[in-house]
Amino acid sequence: MASTAAVPFWRSAGMTYITYSNICANLVRNCLKEPHKAEAINREKVHFSVSKWVDGKPQKPTIRSDTPEA
Amino acid sequence: MAMAALRKEGRRFAPLVSSPNPINAIRSTLAPTEEQVGLGVRSISTQVVRNRMKSVRNIQKITKAMKMVAASKLRAIQVRAENSRGLWQPFTALLGDTPSVNVKKNVIVTISSDKGLCGGINSTSVKISRALHKINSGPDTQCKYVVLGEKGKAQLIRDSKKDIELIMTELQKNFLNYTQVSVLADDILKNVEFDALRIVFNKFQSVVSFLPTTATVLSPEIVERESEAGGKIGDLDSYEIEGGETKSEVLQNLAEFQFSCVMFNAVLENACSEQGARMSAMDSSSRNAGDMLDRLTLTYNRTRQASITTELIEIISGASALEG
Repeated sequence: MASTAAVPFWRSAGMTYITYSNICANLVRNCLKEPHKAEAINREKVHFSVSKWVDGKPQKPTIRSDTPEA
Repeated sequence: MAMAALRKEGRRFAPLVSSPNPINAIRSTLAPTEEQVGLGVRSISTQVVRNRMKSVRNIQKITKAMKMVAASKLRAIQVRAENSRGLWQPFTALLGDTPSVNVKKNVIVTISSDKGLCGGINSTSVKISRALHKINSGPDTQCKYVVLGEKGKAQLIRDSKKDIELIMTELQKNFLNYTQVSVLADDILKNVEFDALRIVFNKFQSVVSFLPTTATVLSPEIVERESEAGGKIGDLDSYEIEGGETKSEVLQNLAEFQFSCVMFNAVLENACSEQGARMSAMDSSSRNAGDMLDRLTLTYNRTRQASITTELIEIISGASALEG
């Protein structure tokens, strides 16, 4: 059943609930005070490499990372 | 006999060195066809055994060190895995976990490790994924793979190339955290169409036992369909829901969040199982190296004593030949 009611702004902007909650969590983490803030930012690091496969052939892998490639 | 065999083959010492007693040694050294007669032979053959013992001893040290490292990593991650179980248990209580659901588009998410030397856990995950694929592919259903981890990728590439949708590797570069797993889950949600997601991982029961498990997450449309049909999910209507306007929207949020939580738990449990399996694999490997070292030491001593006895006998027989 198509929801004709107003979807929340983030859903219409193309975000999923997961992205939305991650952004909210990021905001909360940035509100912390100093010693805890560094630990919390440490808990947020993301690094992995994704490659999509089409018809049995891998495409070029993209690396999603917060840390720049050293 | 034994010396000639050792010199020529230089390979498996234990079965060959059954009884290198001096009489056989003399027979070989006096045989004219053997060209290894000479004093140089005996020291070379003990040298071979000694080199082998040195390398086995090094391997034993390395595997013991790997076991300690795996044990310490396991301790760190086990606490987090057990705590993360509380994330998805309310979801299962609410939405149910129905592996027998009948859907058109299945996606199997196989979680494996990036590094090897961890026993058989990756093979069991891949075996279960293949079995699930077989069960779920029928005339009108479609079944695809999403693979996390190098080891699973290597195994699934061999025969299921056309069914792979996404591959993700290098997950453990940073410490595993929820943000990373949720970004992964988000990628899967955006790139793959699914009606039901089946996540295959190794659940961590204890340091020596890992159960391969499947967790099923349904897409919001299917959850709606099931809730119309009644049953456990049909009780959703009896809850008072705050926040979303329509039930379908709430279900969509819940389904996405459920997927993310279940993935988080699955990745942590698999990492625990990986460290535990590596610990036991390295432990049995050091024990095997120790056994091999014992056998090699026996061989070495026997060879050494045989060569000394041979020399003595030669000297004595030479001396008695001079006299008599």
